[in-house]
Amino acid sequence: MLLLKKITAFLLVSVLLQKSVAQLPGYRSFALLENNQPFKINTLLKTADGFIYAGTTNGLYTFDGKQFNKINFLKREARDTVTAVFQDNTKQLWIGFKSGKIAKKINDRLQYFLPEEGTPKVAITAFLQDKQNNIWFSTNGEGIYYFSNKHMYLINEAEGLSDTYVHALTLAPNGDVLAATDQGINICKISGSKKTITVIGPHNGLPDYYVTAIIPAGNNSFWIGLQEKGYCLYDHTTKQISIPAVANAWPYGQVNALLATPTNLWIATSENSLLKLSAANQNVTPLFIASPDKNNIENLLADNEGNIWMTTPTELICTSGEKLNLLPLYDKATYETVHTILSDYENNIWVGTDGGLIKYTISGNKTVSRNYRLKELTAKTDITGLYQDLYHNIWISSMGEGVFVLDPVTGRYRNLSENPLLKKASILSITGSGHTICAGGLEGVATIFELADVNRTIDAKYKFINYNNIPNIGNNYIHTVYKDKAGSIWFGTDGKGITVLQNGHFLHYDRHTGLKDDHVYSFTEDKKGRIWFNTKDAGIYSFDGRLFKNYNTANGISDLQITSLKTDKLGNIIIVNEKGIDILDPEHETISYINNTQGIGEINTGTESVTTDSSGNILLSTIHGILVFSPVYAAVTQPKTIITSVQLFLQPINKDNDHHFQYDQNGFTFKFTGLYYTNPSEVHYQYKLDGLDSTWTDTKDQSIPFPNLSPGNYTFHVRSSLNENFINANEATYSFTISSAFWKRWWFILLCIITGATTLFIYMKWRENNITKMQQLQQEKIQFQFEVLRNQVNPHFLFNSFNTLISTIEENPKNAIGYVEQLSEFFRNIVNYRDKDIICLEEEIGLLNTYFYLQQKRYGDHLKLTIQISEDAKKQWFIPPLTLQLLLENAIKHNAVSKETKLDIQVFTQPGNRLLIRNNLNPKLTQQAGTGMGLQNIINRYNILSKEPVGIHKDNDYFTVILPALKQQ
Amino acid sequence: MLKKILLIPFIYLLVSFTGGTANADFKVSNGNIFFKSDAILELIKAQSSGLKGIIVVEKKQFAFIVSIKSFKGFNSPLQLEHFNENYMESNKYPTASFEGKIIEDLDLTKDGVYMVRSKGNLTIHGVAQERIIKSEIIVKNTAISFTSNFTVLLSDHNIPIPKVVHQKLASEIKVDITADLVTQ
Repeated sequence: MLLLKKITAFLLVSVLLQKSVAQLPGYRSFALLENNQPFKINTLLKTADGFIYAGTTNGLYTFDGKQFNKINFLKREARDTVTAVFQDNTKQLWIGFKSGKIAKKINDRLQYFLPEEGTPKVAITAFLQDKQNNIWFSTNGEGIYYFSNKHMYLINEAEGLSDTYVHALTLAPNGDVLAATDQGINICKISGSKKTITVIGPHNGLPDYYVTAIIPAGNNSFWIGLQEKGYCLYDHTTKQISIPAVANAWPYGQVNALLATPTNLWIATSENSLLKLSAANQNVTPLFIASPDKNNIENLLADNEGNIWMTTPTELICTSGEKLNLLPLYDKATYETVHTILSDYENNIWVGTDGGLIKYTISGNKTVSRNYRLKELTAKTDITGLYQDLYHNIWISSMGEGVFVLDPVTGRYRNLSENPLLKKASILSITGSGHTICAGGLEGVATIFELADVNRTIDAKYKFINYNNIPNIGNNYIHTVYKDKAGSIWFGTDGKGITVLQNGHFLHYDRHTGLKDDHVYSFTEDKKGRIWFNTKDAGIYSFDGRLFKNYNTANGISDLQITSLKTDKLGNIIIVNEKGIDILDPEHETISYINNTQGIGEINTGTESVTTDSSGNILLSTIHGILVFSPVYAAVTQPKTIITSVQLFLQPINKDNDHHFQYDQNGFTFKFTGLYYTNPSEVHYQYKLDGLDSTWTDTKDQSIPFPNLSPGNYTFHVRSSLNENFINANEATYSFTISSAFWKRWWFILLCIITGATTLFIYMKWRENNITKMQQLQQEKIQFQFEVLRNQVNPHFLFNSFNTLISTIEENPKNAIGYVEQLSEFFRNIVNYRDKDIICLEEEIGLLNTYFYLQQKRYGDHLKLTIQISEDAKKQWFIPPLTLQLLLENAIKHNAVSKETKLDIQVFTQPGNRLLIRNNLNPKLTQQAGTGMGLQNIINRYNILSKEPVGIHKDNDYFTVILPALKQQ
Repeated sequence: MLKKILLIPFIYLLVSFTGGTANADFKVSNGNIFFKSDAILELIKAQSSGLKGIIVVEKKQFAFIVSIKSFKGFNSPLQLEHFNENYMESNKYPTASFEGKIIEDLDLTKDGVYMVRSKGNLTIHGVAQERIIKSEIIVKNTAISFTSNFTVLLSDHNIPIPKVVHQKLASEIKVDITADLVTQ
């Protein structure tokens, strides 16, 4: 559903024709539509960037010349009717609503502004920022509010405000705030907490108490728009009101809005559309008279390009404002006979038609025309050129009848007969400056007249020089003769290039000297003295005295079929073609255009059908009449490039403040526009992202995504131009940095390397240790095995065992079997365990018991073994094999075992995971010689297998060996 | 206390002027003021039940007053003493008041809940400041109750904060008011 409601803007009408004295040649209108129904634009704003904002019944929109874009609320579902929009000097946008609420635009979204004091309950009508930077706003019924020092204050009847319905606010140079109310003008003066209100009403001479608009008029004066009585001027210094003559009987109805431009006051009315008041002659000119749907104009705005914008209840309309004026002096039939035009010193317009001249005199809203017939000319004789000399006489050149001079006051004229060369000659152009008049024509006619005081009247003979048979030109067509400010005379020919007469010498330029085209039609000169001329097919050239420079379509010239060149009052070169004009700024070499987008077209293609009036305006003959182009001083003529939004993963960010991003914040979208309201569809773009690719890329898109950027420093550049030529194009940039991920920073990498190296070093050390230990263990084990075997195969042991066995066989043969079984079990276990590093304690105890059994057979009750170990410990603890056996064996070996000296061996555990084996001391008197390696071997093995050492304690009573418990690894 | 109120000429004027149309006027029957100073190092709270005042329905005008000495609470008796003697100088400026007019058009004789703003002079510490204060008014059965909250800047009312207590005393004091009003 939302998609269906998509808002669109489109061009409704293009060209309008009216029969009045001066009109807008055309306009473009745009509508905001929802479900095909236009909705209302309540207010317009131009920001510091030149962007147009429209406050509508459906919210706030930006308008880039092509389409409206809605600025949504942060809470997407919010909807509100915008009644006022304002940008303060920090570029903060304030939006006032019909509901009385106020919002600010923050990161491309609207957020309600919620002061502690609350917001009004009635519509906000206007904002203002005073000299202390306090924000003011006016309301429709509650008076005027302002913020100061964290508080919001209200000015209403209590302070003497004459009415709480306030329509407009403006700031006076002294800091006073002037409010337009239903009851006169209210002057608000704040000093500290003191509010002083002064009312300017009918008693001060205000013709109407209902004030609708108030705008500065300069010199501490203000234009006042009134409900019934038109407009007037209020002087804030003298508090005087001056009423213009036209307002004494104001016929145009309610004034809704006023707009002052350097030369005009524009007045928007409810019933009579847009009025233009010319500052020069105080004439009010109604525009849009023939459009009943455009009678109610509510808002006015001037863009930076000189266009005037206005709103009707259903449309936004763009006009060319002061730039273009159409004088619909003649119809299409006359237009077809017009070959040349002239604006004289009195701003009368002369047109040369078949067989004669017509002079149009414009005075006020009336136009008077006067015909001048020349009897020598028939309907088939073309008038090719018109020129007014410094004595105001009109020079007329013709095809086949030479040159005429006409006294415009008396209407007398004569055919110049003093120059035989011009008799019946076909003259193609007549130009001049100061005392010089130049004529060029067929068969090499090139004549320069030098005027003197006697030539005030047309009767005196003119002095002249004929330049026929000029070297290199011969009798070729001379299209145009031009005398520059330095006094050089330029001859432009049809096919033979250019010849210049400079200081008495003829200089020639043609194909052989580098010109691409030898057909030269018209000359002009810029402020720096450069000569410009147009050619038949190769565009235009400038010549600075040394070099020719060519400009063609690659430089942005829209059409190479160029009619004529002129220099306008701002020094721009005006290039006229049939469809429009190209305006070339010779300093920046940028070109802007006026064409059918502004509603002009079908311009007369005669070289002499373009002229300059006394104020430097350019006049063109078009099918709709005379078009006057008045270049606007300081107007923007090239697109202004603006980065409208920077988005990070499609979410707008604050592009003024956010420039640093994390490694994973790397998906950017740049939205931009080249603002050029005069001709928005002609804007071309180029962009590049320094840091990624430093070459410019052409694009028509206005949104460029860069997903997945690597860490680094970047600058996004975008520039816009009206053609393919981007030299001096306006550029916008946004710089930003994406940080490396922390694991890519030098310190982290260094840390990793150090950690890695350390780990590797420790590991290698550990492994080295291990290997050494393993080797030791292996060695110890072999030694131990050797020891054990040596012991067990000890003849003593065997001898004793066999003796025991013999006595057992004798006493109890049955037991003998058991004894042999135990003996064999003992040897089997030794074989089994000898390769193992450790065995379960249970297994060792089994072995110990077997060994004990064998020994007990020999010693009987004199030998005693007590084992106190829990079943858990037996299963969980480990021990190097034959450890306990060896210690038991040692005990028997070193102690006397007899009836008197019983040997008591105890095996038990102690807290702290210790296994103890101890025996009472009964040392033999003669110690059996032993290698002593058994105990040492146990100690060595434990050193390898355990951190804790083996403890050996010997006191008067006991010999104790403490073995640390081993756990299975 | 009543005598003190009558000393305020505006209220005196209101009371006397509207004596004839007693039905349309509301008087505070129960009014409470809370305030809170939330500074970095200390939270100070105090309240008073001594709010008096009147609303003149026909003119949408009102006047409220409270005695400074009626505030209780605080974190210590010493603090209360400082409040009265050093900051508020309650012997010199015994009351705080707000008097003015309701901005919105509304009929307080009709039952309903109204969000209104009033414009008036807030006088604290002898310094009057024009303020707009937002309130929620509930009208039910010819009784009015309202709640307001707003902040007071000490600097607006020439209440100095010694440097020593800078971190213990907020420069903005939050004030909450609730009151019930009945017809006279």
